[in-house]
Amino acid sequence: MKLVSVLGAVFRRDWTMMKRYIVNSVSTLVSIYMIFILIFAGLQSMSGYVKTGALEGSLEGTIIGFFVWTFTIYAFSNLAWNLTNEAQTGTLEQLYLAPCGFKWVAASTLISDFVFSFVPIMLLLAAMMATTGKWLRVDLASLVPLLLITLLGAYGVGFALGGLALVFKRIQALFQIMQFVFVGLLVIPMRVPAAKYMPLVLGNDLIRRAMVDGVRMWRLPPGDILTAVAVGAAYLAVGVAVFSWCERVAKNRGLLGHY
Amino acid sequence: MSMSAGALQVQSLTKVFRDRGGVAVRAVDDVCFEVKRGEVLGLLGPNGAGKTTSIKCILGLMRPDSGRITLFGQDIQAAYPRILGKMSAVLEGSRNLYWRMSVWENVAFFSALHGVGSREDREYFGYLLKLFSLDEKRHTEVRKLSQGMKQKASVVCALARRTPLVFLDEPTLGLDVETSLELRSVLKRLAREEERTFVVSSHDMDVIQDVCTRVVIMSSGRIVVDDQVSHLMSLFRTRAYRIRLRGPAPQALEERLTQEFASVRVTDAETDAEIRVALSEDGDIYRLMDALRGEDAVIDEISHEEVDLEKVYLEIVRGERMRS
Repeated sequence: MKLVSVLGAVFRRDWTMMKRYIVNSVSTLVSIYMIFILIFAGLQSMSGYVKTGALEGSLEGTIIGFFVWTFTIYAFSNLAWNLTNEAQTGTLEQLYLAPCGFKWVAASTLISDFVFSFVPIMLLLAAMMATTGKWLRVDLASLVPLLLITLLGAYGVGFALGGLALVFKRIQALFQIMQFVFVGLLVIPMRVPAAKYMPLVLGNDLIRRAMVDGVRMWRLPPGDILTAVAVGAAYLAVGVAVFSWCERVAKNRGLLGHY
Repeated sequence: MSMSAGALQVQSLTKVFRDRGGVAVRAVDDVCFEVKRGEVLGLLGPNGAGKTTSIKCILGLMRPDSGRITLFGQDIQAAYPRILGKMSAVLEGSRNLYWRMSVWENVAFFSALHGVGSREDREYFGYLLKLFSLDEKRHTEVRKLSQGMKQKASVVCALARRTPLVFLDEPTLGLDVETSLELRSVLKRLAREEERTFVVSSHDMDVIQDVCTRVVIMSSGRIVVDDQVSHLMSLFRTRAYRIRLRGPAPQALEERLTQEFASVRVTDAETDAEIRVALSEDGDIYRLMDALRGEDAVIDEISHEEVDLEKVYLEIVRGERMRS
């Protein structure tokens, strides 16, 4: 079965690369943790809400928002950055020679990235909870599916930006802007009209309910879960469509191997 | 799949690029050629001739404007991307590898993309690494290898996929003479032992002459020659002449010859002059003699020039440029 063989190969490659770039992997997480510390310290000094409990609940929201944001950044940027790097280093065309099609190679990369980023980001979550003293409910049976549903939209954005990178090459500035757009999406309150149709928003709210209120996934409103899945799938489909269109343009213009 | 089908058939392949002003450049213009199973075909041409574009169109990395490509009897467009299981390629040499992974890790990864990784396959990887003298470096990260070793590792990655058709675009680029000879010897051996089909694109004429049985020469996006290497060489052997004159060449002779023959070279030594020329038509020898007589040149000796593929190639490409 070639699909499984490709998935296995991508897992082995990414594991090898993670070990070879261990300093980079660790320093990325440390940087994210440092940013969280700064935000936490800022919130404390501005309002002192942690001590008074006046804004009880915001701290949990910040931790969850930061936790989902980190997953989101990993999810979207790994695909988009990897495509840029592979084109730059010259391996992209070789990946395009896979008989299963490049999209499966890209999908395998996403799956592998999720698996390999899961443990470090969970450690980051533990560090954030220890730092703030706010211990959230971490029920993996609910959390993992909700994370995957939430990240569908981010994967869609990753495919779209990856496709644009194939054609326009130097669009790293757009990648960075997207990180802030994701922050914006994660702080939009659910009461904003049509908020649940935006990527990440409803999924983030469901994760908050699971982690703060301790609601198991199967006790969450099925309508909300189905909406989150449909919205995520729609953004993913749009992202894949944009990627396919860009891929076609890149092949027409002979840009696949260029950088 | 038809058993009588060749390995590769390219029919009327055309690829046009447009610059920002909308000006069209025909990078590949109505190209047709065929490669038989087990054949080693050389693809030659100056920079910008359309070799790499043709290869990338066949591999599906570029979309041609028109044309039909058939691989082992199957239409590539209809069978894409599954058809990629039948071909592999070295496209940018050492850039085709992950430099932070070892040689073995690269070979195993790119082969696994083709579903190749069984125990028998891994034994074959080991065989290839031995053949290319990379066995001792199998666990070394690619970035720590010399340029020649990186290039060889890249070729191993393409061969390890065990595809019946392999494209090698500039496989000897940046290699020293010894490594180039080693690579040529291994390619010949694999073509003979495994009956695989190779398409080798290179500027290194020694490689093409040594490894390939047939050459396709491209210029400005078109095929100008498609012939057996041996036939091409014998053809040019009978057309290439060296004429030694007694005394220096008369003043107007070089100008006159240059006007009449595209490939003439006149070298004036202190005492004798020498003319090297490749004649393209049967009657040209008489025109040459008339020109020499007309300029009062005294012929001391006429002989067939020793030719190699590089000279043949240069004659063809220069002649093509003159015509266009």
